[in-house]
Amino acid sequence: MPANAALPALTPALEDYLESVFRLVTEHGFARVRDIAEARGVKPGSVSPAMRRLEEAGLIRYERREYVALTDTGAAAARRIYSRHRVLRRFFGTFLGLPPEIAEADACVAEHSLSAATLDRLVRLFEYMEVCPDGRDHLRHFHQCSRVQEGADHCPHHCPALHGLGERNTVMSVADLRPGQKGRVRQIEGQGAIRQRLLDMGILPDTTIELARIAPTGDPMWIRLQGFELALRKNEAAAVLIEAL
Amino acid sequence: MKKNLQHPPLSVLRPLRVLLAGNPNSGKTSLFNALTGARQKVGNYPGVTVERREGRWRIPGQDVLVRDLPGTYSLTAYSPEERIAQDELTHGDHDVVVVVADATVLRRSLMFLLQVMQLGANTVLCLNMSDEAHKAGQVVDTLWLGELLGIPVVETAAARGQGLDDLKAAVLSAATRTGPGVSAEVAAALGGITQPTAGGEASVERMRRLAAAADLLLARVLVAAPRPNARRLTTRIDAVLAHRLLGLPLFLLVMYGVFWVTFTLGAAPMDWIDAAVGGLGSLVTAHWPGSPDSALLSLLVDGIIAGVGGVVIFLPNIVLLFLCLSLLEDTGYLARAAYLTDRVLSRVGLHGKSFLPLVTGFGCSIPGIMATRTIESERDRLATMMVLPLMSCGARLPIWLLIIPAVFPAAWRTTAMWSVYVFGIVLALGLALVLRGTILKGDATPFVLELPPYRLPTLRDVLGRMADRSLVYLRKAGTVILAISIVLWALSTYPRKEHFDVDDALAGGAVFTEQEIVARQAAESLAYSVAGRIGRALEPVFSPLGYDWRIVTASLGAFAAKEVFVSQMSIVYALGDDADPGDVGERLRADYSPLVGVSLIIFLLVGTPCMATVAVTRRESGSWRWAWLQFGGLTALAWVLAAAVYNLGRLVA
Ligand SMILES: Nc1nc2c(ncn2[C@@H]2O[C@H](COP(=O)(O)OP(=O)(O)OP(=O)(O)O)[C@@H](O)[C@H]2O)c(=O)[nH]1
Ligand SMILES: [Mg+2]
Repeated sequence: MPANAALPALTPALEDYLESVFRLVTEHGFARVRDIAEARGVKPGSVSPAMRRLEEAGLIRYERREYVALTDTGAAAARRIYSRHRVLRRFFGTFLGLPPEIAEADACVAEHSLSAATLDRLVRLFEYMEVCPDGRDHLRHFHQCSRVQEGADHCPHHCPALHGLGERNTVMSVADLRPGQKGRVRQIEGQGAIRQRLLDMGILPDTTIELARIAPTGDPMWIRLQGFELALRKNEAAAVLIEAL
Repeated sequence: MKKNLQHPPLSVLRPLRVLLAGNPNSGKTSLFNALTGARQKVGNYPGVTVERREGRWRIPGQDVLVRDLPGTYSLTAYSPEERIAQDELTHGDHDVVVVVADATVLRRSLMFLLQVMQLGANTVLCLNMSDEAHKAGQVVDTLWLGELLGIPVVETAAARGQGLDDLKAAVLSAATRTGPGVSAEVAAALGGITQPTAGGEASVERMRRLAAAADLLLARVLVAAPRPNARRLTTRIDAVLAHRLLGLPLFLLVMYGVFWVTFTLGAAPMDWIDAAVGGLGSLVTAHWPGSPDSALLSLLVDGIIAGVGGVVIFLPNIVLLFLCLSLLEDTGYLARAAYLTDRVLSRVGLHGKSFLPLVTGFGCSIPGIMATRTIESERDRLATMMVLPLMSCGARLPIWLLIIPAVFPAAWRTTAMWSVYVFGIVLALGLALVLRGTILKGDATPFVLELPPYRLPTLRDVLGRMADRSLVYLRKAGTVILAISIVLWALSTYPRKEHFDVDDALAGGAVFTEQEIVARQAAESLAYSVAGRIGRALEPVFSPLGYDWRIVTASLGAFAAKEVFVSQMSIVYALGDDADPGDVGERLRADYSPLVGVSLIIFLLVGTPCMATVAVTRRESGSWRWAWLQFGGLTALAWVLAAAVYNLGRLVA
């Protein structure tokens, strides 16, 4: 069966009907007008005109008065519509991490309103994310990233601009530590000399830092890490984002 | 990837060039000293060495040139001193690079090593401070580490001279063979990272790979990790010395202690030398074969013995001052003091890192100004340089030792001495604030300073440094001061006055004692001499400060070298009569009021940085503009302050 056989131009409503028929047939082996009406949430009376239009397009046929079957073309078209729907639903659900109800509802809307070209690219992106090892990593990092998930354990993906995350209270800096408290470095903010200096000193993501003491006015601070000790100003300490341990 | 480059056999004619590179404070200079027998300055804080130094390491059959570099944390340098190390590593002409690593901070050291190895030179890893690492319970399988890295790895304890033979063998072997390169496993962990361009954007990814490779190496070769409480003693000491509230008062107390030691303990040996110098003068006069009026005798006794002797008698104090400073440096306390004072310094727009050069300036302004190379920001560096001469240097110590006892009662002397230093510091802070608010405007710059563990200074370092300082001081006395003393003697003696006013007065019927006649004649001679004339010509400029022409000539001499003030005063009084150099203080007390003393202290502390300071400021700042600004600005400020104090004092009194 040629997968890219031209799909007859259908209105969104008709596409939904065709899809419903397809799902009922795959689930139960048959589709009745009554079930279609129920699946679409409409009165049985309004199903018949739609069915007639689909029949005219050669996508379905009435077997008996009540029962609807898919023609070969209809099955192909329905499968394409349905897989599009499934892709979108998984995209919204698994990929974006939305709850199933929202994923389902938005998939229904998006499958009709997005252009075929966009949908095609989305499907490819999704495939890439699932198949390519790099893509899988990206997906995993995305879900572990503190920007995405409240309370994610740590961000393995060190985006340079975690600025503006102040409102996310999961993020704090070395400057927020109390003496004796430890934290694990998530990332180093800032740029240029100071960032380089901190990195050169071995202050890297996952390094554990302990605040040893603070000068009377809160500045500078004295930290301990990996067997050595550093004095640094509060400004610099604030550039080292950590999670408290 | 294996390279099988065949190196030419070691030549006896061409010396082998070895570079010592590594993180700051890893013991490079200690190693350099141990290898070459040099006595370059070591100290227990990062940034002691700020220029390259070369020395000969004598290995039988092979001439080796060793070069000591400033420390650096990476090859993307920011401060001038780090740039020196980086340039040398990347563009230098050398056969072997010895990466001197602090074995107690292995991970960071290995990250640095891996970066250096990427430069492609024949490298040797030297795990220094191995004594401390062992004491902490750390055991490293150096053979395996060497195999994984593809380079020779040795353990040393430079401060104790241990492991030097191993190092020698490793360097010679590295010089003749290019290593096989890092093992596949390590190469994989590094994942083909490349050298970043200098000043290029920092890459977390690159550093992570370096860290991953270092961790992999450690996982393999770290037979026993150091105990977690290895730094316990340091932590305990810091709990007191770097205490939130106690820290700063303790620091002030320590500094007070330094001046007390310098002043009090130095007094006894100073008296001995004083007596010896006085005795020498009398001895020469007594046994002089020619006429007692001979110019040569005068030159010898009044010029050389008085001038140079006047300076030499303060040797014990100088040595004690340097002993104290060197103890502070070598134990690691100075790094704490930098932490404690950063707040104060940052208020005036300076930097915690300015502290270390400023303290070095108590010894001598020249190394102090050079030490500003550790400061990354140009503005901070210039501001520090400009105010550095306000740190009362060792050469000014004799001046204070001469003037303070003359104008203050015994109980006040240590406090007065301490106050001189504190006054200099406060003024430096104020001036820095002004500079940073006007011509050196700019934002606060980052401050990151490593705090090394406390270390016991080695006796060799401390005694060596004391001996060096004594030699330097004596050499200066025997050359510069001697030469200037002779010149000043000549200027103060010629032209000779033939006809004295006193004689006219006597002829006119005045009555003087024999002593008075001699004294008046001497005074007239001096006033008649070139020095006297110059002094008199300039007297109007300095009279608002309360100075007479004698002080004026001595102050001018101080521009050549600060100690000259003391020698000139000694010469002036020696020419006047037979006073010992040691009596100069008493003569001062008789001739000048305490107020003049204070005004003089202020002028000599603040004004006229010496020639050498001006020259080094020119070199380090890169322009004469800053050097002259420093000289002119400080001298003008000194004049204003001294005049203000003198005149206000007179109003009050
Ligand atoms: N225990 C111990 N201390 C050492 C050893 N080597 C050096 N030190 C001490 O470590 C401190 C630093 O030594 P330096 O030789 O000044 O270090 P550096 O690498 O030249 O330092 P910078 O010039 O600042 O980069 C000094 O206090 C030395 O006495 C060693 O092998 N064992
Ligand atoms: Mg050094």
